[in-house]
Amino acid sequence: MKGITRKFLRINLSNGKIGEEPIAEQVETDFIGGRGFGIHYLYREVAPKTDPLGEQNKMIFVAGPLAGTNAQAVSRWMVCTKSPLTGAFARSVAGADFGAWIKFAGYEFILVEGKAERPVYIHLTRAACQIEAADELWGKDTVVTQEWLSQRHGLNTRVACIGPGGENLVKYAAIVTNRRTASRCGVGAVMGSKNLKAIAINAERNLQLHDPEGYKQLVKQQIQMMMANKGFQYHKEMGTTGNPENTSELGIFPTRNFRYGRLDDYEKLAGEEYLKRRIGEFGCYSCAARCGKVHRVTKGPYAGAHSEGPEYESIWAFSGPIENSYLEATIAADQLCDDLGIDTISTGNTIGFAYELYEKGLLTKKDTDGLELKYGNHKAMVALVGKIARREGIGDLLAEGTMRVAAKIGKGAEAFAINAKGLELPAYEPRGAKSLGFNYATSNIGGSHGYGYAPQEVFGAPFPRKVDRFAEEENADIVVFNQNNGAVGEVGIVCVFARGWFPQLYDKLLIAATGIDKIGERGYLPRVGERIVNLERAFIVREGFGRKQDTLPQRMLSEPLHTRGSPGEGQMIRNLDKFLDRYYEIRGWTPQGIPSPEKLKELGLGYVVKDMAQSQNAKAI
Amino acid sequence: MQPFTGQEYENMSVQIDIPPLLRHLTDGATSAKVKGSTVGDCLNHFVKLYPKTKRLLFDKDGKLLRYVEVYVNKVTTYPEELATPVNDGDEISIVYVISGG
Repeated sequence: MKGITRKFLRINLSNGKIGEEPIAEQVETDFIGGRGFGIHYLYREVAPKTDPLGEQNKMIFVAGPLAGTNAQAVSRWMVCTKSPLTGAFARSVAGADFGAWIKFAGYEFILVEGKAERPVYIHLTRAACQIEAADELWGKDTVVTQEWLSQRHGLNTRVACIGPGGENLVKYAAIVTNRRTASRCGVGAVMGSKNLKAIAINAERNLQLHDPEGYKQLVKQQIQMMMANKGFQYHKEMGTTGNPENTSELGIFPTRNFRYGRLDDYEKLAGEEYLKRRIGEFGCYSCAARCGKVHRVTKGPYAGAHSEGPEYESIWAFSGPIENSYLEATIAADQLCDDLGIDTISTGNTIGFAYELYEKGLLTKKDTDGLELKYGNHKAMVALVGKIARREGIGDLLAEGTMRVAAKIGKGAEAFAINAKGLELPAYEPRGAKSLGFNYATSNIGGSHGYGYAPQEVFGAPFPRKVDRFAEEENADIVVFNQNNGAVGEVGIVCVFARGWFPQLYDKLLIAATGIDKIGERGYLPRVGERIVNLERAFIVREGFGRKQDTLPQRMLSEPLHTRGSPGEGQMIRNLDKFLDRYYEIRGWTPQGIPSPEKLKELGLGYVVKDMAQSQNAKAI
Repeated sequence: MQPFTGQEYENMSVQIDIPPLLRHLTDGATSAKVKGSTVGDCLNHFVKLYPKTKRLLFDKDGKLLRYVEVYVNKVTTYPEELATPVNDGDEISIVYVISGG
């Protein structure tokens, strides 16, 4: 007897209907929670070919089964929906307190469907849920929006909201909570398309756990293990600001729109430089790391700019792509993205793309509202951030993301568009960290590092085995392992930086929280991870994705990487096809990249088989 | 402390797995055989073989950098680190515990 009831809240913005629904026991057992619930419900409820920005698309705001407890680093949350940027599955993860507040309200997730006629926000308490007018908030940035809602509903309010980026349907708009963001895949645009400005939750801690006493003991162990971990201590001190030096030394810090693997003066981006500008720190709910380092610019053209961050990806996004080492500009651009609600990675990558188009003569000063997009020009970069979020001038074009901009411009622009399945690549060069690169190619959300991060290549982690970062099909097993393992971590939406306890305690914490004893069986969690990845794959196969879309930008397949003295000079992706053959074989998929009936049945996903048989790609085999 | 020569442990052999970050400083070698009775001995021998790796392992006081973690047979040596004893046939892994978003 589990002794707990898990449920979700369905909110229909078209007809105003709001209601609780139970989560079936079989779904709990098969998917546990978090991303598992996200893809399970999305697959069943969003029909193939649904317009991502149409009324029929749905959004799932989901926390993990451990969120809101005093366990450390487990209160992150994510949005699952169909992406307007890629047309594929979207899973976008954020931190701060909002995940805990979803649980305090009494739910595993909030499912939003339909479309409001006018701007609205959702106000949720444990006792009631109301759809309120948000006309007054429309057009406001994320800082003002959160302050307004806190003043109206009290300090115990936690908000997830969009800024002008989401309202203007920027294809890579973010959802912002405090200063943390669910950034990737354009989830903010989906919210904007529904005229949903924000979800504001008022609630106090009130959780059901299957085994509260056992859980308490496990948390004690978790804290001890975390505090005794060297990696945790370094992360607590530096956040992710220490990584630019590491990736530059490795030659995988993408520079000049992914032509080089190192910024010449990368020392200027060092963690110690950020430390000099640090004015505070911020932590997510129940996490001692407090890894959000707050920086302020005190002099120069960006004096007064301040940001919780930039963290590694954003440090890169506003330095590498345009070859900028003036970190005050990076801080300013990062702040603007958070205020206006757009993804730093896609924004920075798209701006780098625009600079290359300008260099090649495919964009001119006439197209760029007079901005000179010459490498190193950080003022133009910062100006473009605002233009994109507001869709002003050239910003209206760039707000569409690299894939659509390239299609619109033509004349070979596609050769410089650095995305996978339409999602802009992040801060790791795929030619120098090839397992990460092949993860970009095969990820069900597109070019995401988080979907299947490769710590073996970036940090030398020898788990589950040592890896040669320049090997290709030989590492297909590692790509599968990293992707499945990532999905396992995201049923509990555990922070990837929480170190020192995960392998020993994760399953035990999940059992104590949910009462699902099967989690303790050998191989059960990896199988859940595999199930999730396969169902996500089925979702995108149903949308028409297959082997042809499992690819990397032309540059990675045809141009050698230049590393300016770091290792990896001359590397490129030499045999994508061999890699895919091996990867599909390990996955149990067809040579076209479609989950086979046998694999689906083995994973308890027999109901998906007929959808695969009907898919366009299956017919093409 | 006497400079390490390696002769003290002639009959012992420990393998160091060289992480990606150091491989361009080891002429591409992915592993090295070293000698020593502790992690510190082994890393000193390693630095003797590949002197350029020193800046990415030790600070100016000779302590392991605060973002370098050493594992013996996939078990962390933290907090003993350099003082951790090793045995013949052990495998040392060097991991950079830097966070990357």
